Amino acid sequence: MNCQRFESIASELARNQIMEADVRSEALAHSAKCVNCLARLRNEEMLTRGLNALATGMNSLEAPPALEARLVSAFRQPQVIVPMPVMRGRRFYWLAAAAAVLFIIFSVSTFRWHREQPAPHEARLTPPTPVKNVDGPAPQQIQTPKQPVFAVKSDDKPKHQPRRNVRGSALQAKAVITPNKDINSNHASEVATEFMPVGYWNAAALQDGGQIVRVELPRTTLASFGLPVNMDRYNEKVKADVLLGVDGMAHAIRFVQEKRLQ
Amino acid sequence: MKAKTDLPDSELLRLMLAGDEESFTLLYRRRQGGIYRFALQMSGSPQVAEDVTHDVFLFLMKDGNVFDAARGSVSSFLFGVARNYVLRRFRGDHATVPFADDEEDQDFDRETNVPGPLDDLTRAETIESVRRAVLSLPEKYREVVVLCELQELSYGETAEALGCAIGTVRSRLHRARSLLHAKLSPSGEQTELESSTAVESARCFA
Repeated sequence: MNCQRFESIASELARNQIMEADVRSEALAHSAKCVNCLARLRNEEMLTRGLNALATGMNSLEAPPALEARLVSAFRQPQVIVPMPVMRGRRFYWLAAAAAVLFIIFSVSTFRWHREQPAPHEARLTPPTPVKNVDGPAPQQIQTPKQPVFAVKSDDKPKHQPRRNVRGSALQAKAVITPNKDINSNHASEVATEFMPVGYWNAAALQDGGQIVRVELPRTTLASFGLPVNMDRYNEKVKADVLLGVDGMAHAIRFVQEKRLQ
Repeated sequence: MKAKTDLPDSELLRLMLAGDEESFTLLYRRRQGGIYRFALQMSGSPQVAEDVTHDVFLFLMKDGNVFDAARGSVSSFLFGVARNYVLRRFRGDHATVPFADDEEDQDFDRETNVPGPLDDLTRAETIESVRRAVLSLPEKYREVVVLCELQELSYGETAEALGCAIGTVRSRLHRARSLLHAKLSPSGEQTELESSTAVESARCFA
């Protein structure tokens, strides 16, 4: 053993740390021959004794007894107690991640389910009520006894409302209402425009109910709504469905034409 | 059935976190002395030592569930927490660092160590000089001296408390003892240097 090696283990030797017996005997043998290393070992031993004496002298020191009382008092406060989690380690994190994924899936599916529900602003129409008619005989209302509640889907509402010079009152006055006992059965054989507003359109007026009345109008009425008119048939009638509110006023109209057979 | 006094620290901690006051009291009485002395030896202030001991066990009540038995013993865990609180005090209040390595300390050493403290370390004055020398060490060397020499923790336990490798503990302790030799020798640093030179030259002939 040389002095450098001895230097590296001198403190371990002085502190009686566990080391290989061969290394210990070699180190002691070297210190017996080398004066400097022996002095180094003696210094280390004295330092160790000094530190041990210091440790022994302070060994009886403890925290003041009042501190224990304070801590026990703090321990009794319920908010201080934090229960140790039952699950620890990676398993807990995996379960938490799985729960988070399930929560996200549930949220997405709930959101989609809500979107697939019918629109809440579906206008429910009450059973038909008598239609007021300003001029002429009272129009015959179209009865739908098998389906007293006639729902109009939101799709039937006018999506595009072009500005037109609409005169609802004139339309109502000129309307010649013809009876049509089977209006529903004709839907498959008819094509119709979308409902177009007549005068001031207010969807709130239909919340209390309403009525659809099949009427026949002069073909020139189409021009009032910006629709093309076949001048060859200008003197013919055109069928239309008029949406009447509970106030008896016409709120919307759609023109109906029978499908031509191919 | 095993008495609670015979239970290991980790079991007492588990019971304590479940709300068992007796387990807390047992654990406190078992570990408070070491924590208090560690804080006192690190800071030199009984008030700081008391505050740190209080904070450590309060932390144990609130956040004791962060203890991981796989990373070490409860004792090492508590020393690690105490060390953090002590260092926090040092950084927050520089006045708590009791002894700087300044001229006054050197004068003190010269006055008290004549003819030299290493000649008679059993005397109370010499113990006091060792205490002051330990307190004057830089923090990273002081903590290994306190844990390994004064608290008699193993290298492994000290490494767990400090969160470093065993080799780091060993090398820091070696360096710390060299610094202590220098501080306790009448001629200070010069002696250490001379000693190193002597070893260097002697190595050629060994």
